[in-house]
Amino acid sequence: MKKKIAKIMLGTMFLTGILSGCGGNAKESSGSDNSGNKYDLTLYSINTTDADFGDWLKNVEDATGLKINVIAAPTDSDTRQQKITTILSTGDSSVDILEINDEMSASFKNSGWLDGLNDTVMTEDIRGEFAKGYLDQMITDKQGNIIGVPGYAGYLAFWVNQKILDEAGIDKLDTKEDFKKYMLAVSKDGRYGYGGSWEKTYVFNEIAQFVNMFGGDYFDWTRPENKEAIQFLYDMVQNKQTPIDQIADKYEQMNPKANDGKYGCWFMWGLGTDYEKAGMLGQDKIHMAMVPSMTDDGKRAIFTDSWSYVLNTASKNKDAAIKFLKYMASEGGMEASYKAFDRYPARKDVAEKVVPDTDPAKEMYSRYASECNVQGRPMLPQTMEFITDMGTIYQSCMKGEISVDEFCKKAQELVNKYK
Amino acid sequence: MNTNNKIKKYIPVILIIPIVVIRGFTTIYPIVITFINSLYNIKVLSGIHEFIGFKNYIDVFKDDKIISSIKFTVIFVVVSMLFHVLLGTVLALILNMKFRGRRFLRTIVLIPWAMPAVVIGMAAKWGFNNDYGLINDLIRRFVPDFQFNWLINTGSARGAVISMDLWKDLPFFAILILSGLQFISEDVYEAAKVDGANSVQIFFKITLPLIIKNILTLCIPFTLWRLTSFDLVYAMTSGGPGEDTSLIAYRIAMESFTNLNIGYASTLAIMLFVLMALFSWVNIRFMNKYND
Repeated sequence: MKKKIAKIMLGTMFLTGILSGCGGNAKESSGSDNSGNKYDLTLYSINTTDADFGDWLKNVEDATGLKINVIAAPTDSDTRQQKITTILSTGDSSVDILEINDEMSASFKNSGWLDGLNDTVMTEDIRGEFAKGYLDQMITDKQGNIIGVPGYAGYLAFWVNQKILDEAGIDKLDTKEDFKKYMLAVSKDGRYGYGGSWEKTYVFNEIAQFVNMFGGDYFDWTRPENKEAIQFLYDMVQNKQTPIDQIADKYEQMNPKANDGKYGCWFMWGLGTDYEKAGMLGQDKIHMAMVPSMTDDGKRAIFTDSWSYVLNTASKNKDAAIKFLKYMASEGGMEASYKAFDRYPARKDVAEKVVPDTDPAKEMYSRYASECNVQGRPMLPQTMEFITDMGTIYQSCMKGEISVDEFCKKAQELVNKYK
Repeated sequence: MNTNNKIKKYIPVILIIPIVVIRGFTTIYPIVITFINSLYNIKVLSGIHEFIGFKNYIDVFKDDKIISSIKFTVIFVVVSMLFHVLLGTVLALILNMKFRGRRFLRTIVLIPWAMPAVVIGMAAKWGFNNDYGLINDLIRRFVPDFQFNWLINTGSARGAVISMDLWKDLPFFAILILSGLQFISEDVYEAAKVDGANSVQIFFKITLPLIIKNILTLCIPFTLWRLTSFDLVYAMTSGGPGEDTSLIAYRIAMESFTNLNIGYASTLAIMLFVLMALFSWVNIRFMNKYND
């Protein structure tokens, strides 16, 4: 009898073990976390490493009355994108709200993994306050549904080192000629006129930026303007005005070099937090400047970007999620993000109210908006594949393994392949 | 046959059912599904899902990225394993010598092995940086004007990846060989010395034959680990410059999790699986022959 009982107990324990193992992740997102705390929705956030994240979360919870469970997104861009892709593509309902960048937005917006927000959050009364070009190009799907709430308005700003400018005796970088003069004057003794982050996925920003500045079209590599832009970059490498070393660099390698005075100018997202931390941000040190015009007609081009809050279609807490998103699209939500994370408000009316005139970004951002052709970056559904392939042939070109003509030919082949 | 005997006959079957079920779910099922997926063109981001037979298997050999990955994987595995065997044996011999601090040395050589490959990769990315890296800093102490960025040229980037792989796993390989060395009786060495054998003769006539089986056995998992190595490259070079350090396992991860080309990634995974099975079979056959 004892043996029988023991057998039944063992069998039960085994079955329980298997079943609990199989069903361990099937819990719904609304409920409780490992510590038993109850929450209303789960947010997959990229900002958890920010020192002010706790204050921001408290602000959001107080304002919305929601108890929010936060999952920290990986800081590495590849890992982060893979995790988010896996969550959305598998219909994982354990995360309700995610923050996605433009690359992910371009990939996911037509996938059916994200809920449209036209009628609930991005309603007509506030839609006009966001940059229209950005909304249309980056976060609106084929059916016209807006799938995200931009968390901020960012520009791929042009940064200069004022000390180096002064040393070279150059007071403005307004035209292509000014830019060339600057390159020539400051590129020596281990210092370069221009610096960048040319790791194969990061360099996409700069290729597209230069193509735009030269009046080209990233999706048409038969245009002479595109070739001129690539030739210009290639010549800078050959003339040692920009280092070939940077093909291994991401922003975390580029920014210390900028802080150390190795670069005269560069393009970078954000409001210069890394320079501020190093005590290098300021009008007499490193600061934003107007993008030079590389064309004869004086036109200027700049890219805008954002990380958007999106609603997972598989979410089981949609009411709470929409409440959260409404707050993030409101003045209060944007002000909280600006104060905690230095995120420039995506809504024009909010930026006007919330950002003090003493913030140097305010003047520059409003100049960018009024003086430049502001666009979202050119992306295709197979975003990362396209970006990586373009980055790979660009690196080959800059290393002299293929000519500029060959690069343009291959680039057009890639556009045809992925478009 | 009475009832008791009948029950006894089925007990082994009943007992192995859980293992078969678990293996079925965790190994057989994924392999079958991966093979089925490999016959489809599945591009999740483009919404494509169509049966294409063995087209993926043909396309693999026309894809420059894959050719480059295969080339580097072969170089990585062969060079790394060669140095594992050579340097691992030397290190094991050193660790087997009698000297003060031997126990301490045996302990600290394992530190790199205990570190996660991703951490090593991230540190190495900075370590090999021309401006801020400790490698060039060290070299500049002897050659002050030395300037070289290891991770931007094909050869040096590949060399850097292989050297980091060796730095991490070589000590573990050596420690495992050391365990084999410790089984060799001191009496054998003493007898050889009495017979007039020198150190080189002792190594080739006594030590090596007695540990060769150990080394060959170790080569199976270490080679398979190299074939599936992904994390070091992921953190250190992201497969760059271009695709020059993109190992095949890294390419599979990129195709499946970043590009969401599930069919193509499955094809690569199946091919890698077949290659690994083949390698293991050849190696086991070789060892059996050696035993005979």
